[in-house]
Amino acid sequence: MAQTESPQPILSIRRLKKHFGHIEVLHAIDLDVQEGEVVAIIGASGSGKSTLLRCVNWLESPTDGEICFRGTLVSAANATTVRREIGMVFQRFNLFPHLSAVDNITLAPQRVLGQSGKESLTAALELLERVHLSDKAYSFPGELSGGQQQRLAIARALAMRPSLMLFDEPTSALDPELVGEVLEVMRSLAQEGRTMLVATHEMGFARDVADRVIFLEAGGIVEQGPPEQVLVNPRQERTREFLARVLDR
Amino acid sequence: MRAYAASRLEGSIPRWCGFRAILVALAALALLVSASGASRADDLDQIRSRGTLIIGSDATYPPFELFKDDKYEGFDIDLGNEIGKELGVRTEWVNVAWDGIFAALKGGKFDLVMSDVVLTPPRMKEMAFSEPYFLSGQAIARRKGDTSVSKPEDLLTKRVGVQIETTGQAAVKKLGVPDDRIIKYNTMQLALLDVRNGRDDAAVGDIPALKAMILKGYPELEVAGPVFKHEHYGVVMRLGEPRLLAAVNEALDRIMADGRYARIYRKWIGEPLPAGSIDELHRIRAEGTSMGAASKTGSAFSIRWDVLGKTVPLMARGARMTLLLTLLTLVFGTPLGLIFALMRLSSVRPLRWLSIVYVEVVRGTPMLILIFVVYYVMPAVHISLPQFQSAVIALSLNAAAYISEILRAGIESIDSGQMEAARALGMDYRAAMRWVILPQTIRRVLPPMTNEGVALLKDSSLVSLIGMTELARVGSEQAAETGSPITIYLGVALFYLAMTLPLTYAVHLLERRYQPVSRPGRPTPAAAPAGPVKEIAG
Repeated sequence: MAQTESPQPILSIRRLKKHFGHIEVLHAIDLDVQEGEVVAIIGASGSGKSTLLRCVNWLESPTDGEICFRGTLVSAANATTVRREIGMVFQRFNLFPHLSAVDNITLAPQRVLGQSGKESLTAALELLERVHLSDKAYSFPGELSGGQQQRLAIARALAMRPSLMLFDEPTSALDPELVGEVLEVMRSLAQEGRTMLVATHEMGFARDVADRVIFLEAGGIVEQGPPEQVLVNPRQERTREFLARVLDR
Repeated sequence: MRAYAASRLEGSIPRWCGFRAILVALAALALLVSASGASRADDLDQIRSRGTLIIGSDATYPPFELFKDDKYEGFDIDLGNEIGKELGVRTEWVNVAWDGIFAALKGGKFDLVMSDVVLTPPRMKEMAFSEPYFLSGQAIARRKGDTSVSKPEDLLTKRVGVQIETTGQAAVKKLGVPDDRIIKYNTMQLALLDVRNGRDDAAVGDIPALKAMILKGYPELEVAGPVFKHEHYGVVMRLGEPRLLAAVNEALDRIMADGRYARIYRKWIGEPLPAGSIDELHRIRAEGTSMGAASKTGSAFSIRWDVLGKTVPLMARGARMTLLLTLLTLVFGTPLGLIFALMRLSSVRPLRWLSIVYVEVVRGTPMLILIFVVYYVMPAVHISLPQFQSAVIALSLNAAAYISEILRAGIESIDSGQMEAARALGMDYRAAMRWVILPQTIRRVLPPMTNEGVALLKDSSLVSLIGMTELARVGSEQAAETGSPITIYLGVALFYLAMTLPLTYAVHLLERRYQPVSRPGRPTPAAAPAGPVKEIAG
């Protein structure tokens, strides 16, 4: 779990650039993520955290640069295949409102992996138990609280058995009292050794769970390192300013 | 002027009357294209080789032609059947609205037109006429005893109803009646109805038809004075068919010579041929026969239950056709609309443009034009489809444009996060559309699709232009036949309601079933026991 220099990172990003029109949202990002590593990305709104994550699974196509996932260069041609192994959890959940909790989870395994109804259902019920939603198996997203919805969304992503999980500010849309239950699920995922890339405003989560914290500002990496370094004794002035602003609130 | 008439009459005139000029242009186009095509075999040879003489007629005009009890009958029908016998072939009749009848003849839909067509110099330039087979003329109908309408000159200060695009309209115009007081109706029946109702002072039309209609359904009306403009009816065919023309003329000569003509005349005109004071005798008899129930009830708005009862089966058949047309239109129009919607949302620019052009052209032109093009213009490029197929195709092509816009708006209304979530799970575009976007779209477009379905149900009446006997057409035919248009149209309206209300209600139920939050029939959180979910689901 610790940050050892293994020769083959699961995710390798080189000189990643993303423009929206004339605005450069990301410039020349380099980032390696090792198997089993939990990386927290912090930074102000608009610093490019979400865009970085969305480039990894090609929801946004990069303007320039390379993304290698498990040794494969990701491109428009193979993005659909690569996405099967990269789970994503969205800020606004994006659950399928016309499907029950179980159907939300089994849809992709059935339609993408060709799993049988029984096989995917068994797996779905196990996943629901993991995120403490066994009693909501046949509820619809509209009947669930925000925290329950996000936990369901995590279960849905896990159902594809991904080797990398992307979390795009998973607690930002939640009422404060519901944040804890989602973070608790994420913490347990980290503990079982999953590889996670988490864009977050939760400094406590980053400090306790992440192996590495990356501070992003204006589309570039300002500072990165173990949480105790970046969050407690930042080397960069800009990091200090950001933390002062965030922790002040 | 036309706008005035339309607003004055509101519902009485079908909404497509305003497009007549465009139709004429399209008919001309059809003619032009067909004229430039390869020369065909002689019409007479074609008739003999197929063993059938096909005659077009607007069968809403007793006593000359009427579609009644699934059969054509009338003076023209009997005479046409005799002509067929003389040519040694069977006779087949095609029912076509007057508006489209000559265009259909030129488009090759039939060999002859027999629909009490008056010989006029402009018509004779466009088409070939046989020798005259009936002496007729324009006469005036007025409310009984209204002596202020006695001679043609009296009309100059009155409101006069005519059937649109008839020689009656031309005659009234020629008398000098100003345009804004010539009220043009889709059928003669409607013109007579408005005289009876007092909205117009007089109606002008062919005397045999006027007499027959008054006799049947307008005891409050009478024919004023003698014919003021003599006219002759002829059998119409395409130009450049000398052999067919000669054969028809020979047939007419023989039918007139051997007494068959006199029998037909007597049968349908109700008088021996020739007769002295035919008009006067006929009028008296007319008064005698229909004085009864109709005049006693008095009101022009009385409902004749006996008439309604007799026509309900016919209306039910028309309603079935309307329903069939609507369902087929939805069955073909919805997938086509989905294709256009997906093209519109595609990132491929030519597809997007193709879809935009299609939708804008179809939405921007009246459906009547599309029906007209499919039925009357396509034969010019050798695609000649029967009425039913033409109707379904035209309606579907039209509906697809509207449905594609409904579906596009529906798809675009689905939050982009849905597509992202589906793609992030590894689904390709098709799977994401099929399993995530479209199921949600369907729920959202149900209300506008219901509107479209109801609109289709009613718009399908436009196919009566090409002679499809659906509910609206049954209505106008029966209004003509029974002389009780109010009764008939009330029945027609009830039939339409009987179709639209259950549809709206069914969709309402569906909408409730599709509430996005929960669905009945599945265990709800309250109903499902918390623990043994596995057992229930397994």
